Amino acid sequence: MCDLCMKHGAGGKWYLNAEHYSQAIAEKYNLRDFLMEQYKNFEQISVRKVHGFNAVGMGYKLKMPIIGRIVKYAAEKMLHSTRPPKNPFRAEGHIGQIVPLEDAVAILRTCAAEPIIEKNCMCRYMSRGVKEACCINFGVMSEIVDKLPRFIPEKDKFFLTRQQAIDRFTEHNRKGYIGSIWFGPFPYINNLCSCASPECAGIRPRVDYGITSIYKAEYIVDFDPDKCTGCGVCVARCQFKAIGCDHALKRITVDYEACFGCGVCRHACKQKALFLKPRDEFPGYEERY
Amino acid sequence: MKGKTKITIDYARCGDGVGVDPRACAACLRACDPAVFLLHETIGAIEDNPYDPQKWRVTPLWIDLCTRCMKCVDVCPEKAVSVAW
Repeated sequence: MCDLCMKHGAGGKWYLNAEHYSQAIAEKYNLRDFLMEQYKNFEQISVRKVHGFNAVGMGYKLKMPIIGRIVKYAAEKMLHSTRPPKNPFRAEGHIGQIVPLEDAVAILRTCAAEPIIEKNCMCRYMSRGVKEACCINFGVMSEIVDKLPRFIPEKDKFFLTRQQAIDRFTEHNRKGYIGSIWFGPFPYINNLCSCASPECAGIRPRVDYGITSIYKAEYIVDFDPDKCTGCGVCVARCQFKAIGCDHALKRITVDYEACFGCGVCRHACKQKALFLKPRDEFPGYEERY
Repeated sequence: MKGKTKITIDYARCGDGVGVDPRACAACLRACDPAVFLLHETIGAIEDNPYDPQKWRVTPLWIDLCTRCMKCVDVCPEKAVSVAW
């Protein structure tokens, strides 16, 4: 169990604690106004200055001897903030975790607050100029997106029932998109995304710059060497370069450290050799989120 | 990769009111393999009309991930992008 689960999971995984999805939290922090302010100019967040720094040329800033460390510390402090959100132009308390398909279905079935919608992914619009409906939102967030026309999908359905949301998420997950659940802002959970690297603005800081913007899942992938034929189809599915293929041994190799536990590789395997195991069952990887 | 990459976009040819609307074009965003560019509203648009931001531009954001493939330079219909190092 990660820190978030220990503090906010009420004895289980933090994202399966229904309290975080409740209307009461949204009312308490006045999140309707806060999120409206944040999302009407959402694409600007990366170019706005925070403590005198914006994200332009982030890699060069992080390489600077002392300033680099300060930038990284400040960025992580902002993302992991648990204080009541104040500034809608910063990604305060916007921390997420990768979720495999099973957990995402559990979220949609039991926790997610109505109304449930599917909106255009902001990250893909920001970094690719493409509108693709694949972000599932709950509760107050759905009411806000309803007022912002650029996020409303033209072709796909906007308001979803629970079952439709599960079906859509499953469809994206099988396609190869990584499921991720987000606090936005802490302690309110309102986003279940289907992400892809390198477009995702949440995965990019972690993968390219080592800033903990998203936690790895509660699981790590493993495989059955008897079933695996070493065809290597799963290798292409992994967006974190965790799976390799050993042609001499006719099986795949898994890097437990690199694996984020999204479980997307499993959908590609015809032999059903890949499976997810809880992180706790891997000695030495328990606390490495 | 040795040295810093510099990507400059000529906003006199690309962006608000001139040349091509970056939202309709987005050719550089689609051509870029490491997704270096960011499509966003200009900061000034907030004061004008916050609910319907019409002034958009492209900023090279994750410049350090640029692989110097020059696809964005080739693909730009207005010849507004330039890459130097």
